[in-house]
Amino acid sequence: MKWHTQDIQLFLKERDYIDTVILPLYPVSFADDIQQTVAMTEFINLLSGQLEKQFKGRILMLPGMSYLKTISEEKRLADLIEWEKELISQDFKHIFYITSDSDWKTVEEQLDGGLIWMPSIPLDNMDDQYKLSILEDQVKQLLNVFVKKWQNND
Amino acid sequence: MSKNRVTRRQFLNYTLTGVGGFMAAGMLLPMVRFAVDPVLQKKGESDFIATNQKVADLTTEPTRVDYSFEQQDGWYSSEETGTAWVYKDENDKVVALSPVCKHLGCTVNWNGDKANENHFYCPCHGGLYTKDGTNVPGTPPIAALDVFPTKEVDGFLHLGKAEPR
Repeated sequence: MKWHTQDIQLFLKERDYIDTVILPLYPVSFADDIQQTVAMTEFINLLSGQLEKQFKGRILMLPGMSYLKTISEEKRLADLIEWEKELISQDFKHIFYITSDSDWKTVEEQLDGGLIWMPSIPLDNMDDQYKLSILEDQVKQLLNVFVKKWQNND
Repeated sequence: MSKNRVTRRQFLNYTLTGVGGFMAAGMLLPMVRFAVDPVLQKKGESDFIATNQKVADLTTEPTRVDYSFEQQDGWYSSEETGTAWVYKDENDKVVALSPVCKHLGCTVNWNGDKANENHFYCPCHGGLYTKDGTNVPGTPPIAALDVFPTKEVDGFLHLGKAEPR
C-alpha cells in the first residue's frame, strides 16, 4: 500500500493482512556530498516504488523520512527511534528501514526494525529498459529477505 | 438595366433566403456531425501496447514480459511499467495473464514457491493460481487472475487492457 488516500482506505479495511511497514530514509545535504545524497534519495525512491508494487498487499510504504546530514548522528537516531515507537504502538509486526546511507549501518543494533542497506547505483544516463531490469533484480533479492522474515514469524 | 429588372421584393426575398439558408446550415451541420460521430470515430488501435517479446519465441512455460507506457495522471505524465505472464497453451494460442494478485494486489510469480511447482504464487499471503490463472480454493484470492487481450503485430506481442474474468 502506498501513502495514497485510495490505498489507505483499503489498508483500513484489510488491516489484519498488512503487518509490515517500510520507512525509506532519505539523506539531504548541501555540502560536497550533495550529488551523493541526491543519488541515494533517487535510487531508494525508485526502489521503494518497485518494492511496493511487488508486496502491495502486505506492506505499507510510508512517505520517507528525510533528514539533514548536518544534524548529529545521535539526534538522527533519536528521531528514528521516535518513529519506531509509534510504528510498534500501531501493532506492525515487521518494521523495515530502507536506505543507501551507510551512516545507519553503524547504529543498526540499536534499532528493533530491520535495516536494509542498498548501495546506490548510478541510474542516471541509463536507458529505461535497463534501469528497470536492474531494479527488478534488486527487488528479487529483497523478496527473499522479506519472505524469510515472514516465514520465521508465522 | 432594362428588361430583367430585379424588383425590390425579389431582391429582399433572395437575400433573406440566402442568409436564412446559411444560418440553418450553421445550426444543422454540427448536429449532423454529432449524430454520425460514432461512425467516424477511429477504433481503439492505440489501446494495445507493444512489447519486445517475439511471439515465435514463446513456449508453454510462462515467461515474464515487461512493457512500458505513458500514463497521464492529471497534469502529470509519467512512464509506467507493467508486467504480464505469457505462454502458449496446448492449442498454440497465446495466453497473457496479469501478475496482480486478486487478493490485495501483490505481484505473483510463476514457480515462486518450491512446495507448489507449476503454479503462480503470491508471496504476501500464500495465494496460489494454476497455470491458466484459476485461483486454488483454500488460499486467500477469491477470483482468477485477469487476462490481457493479445495481438500479434509484425511478429511482436501486443497487449490490451487486462480484463477480469
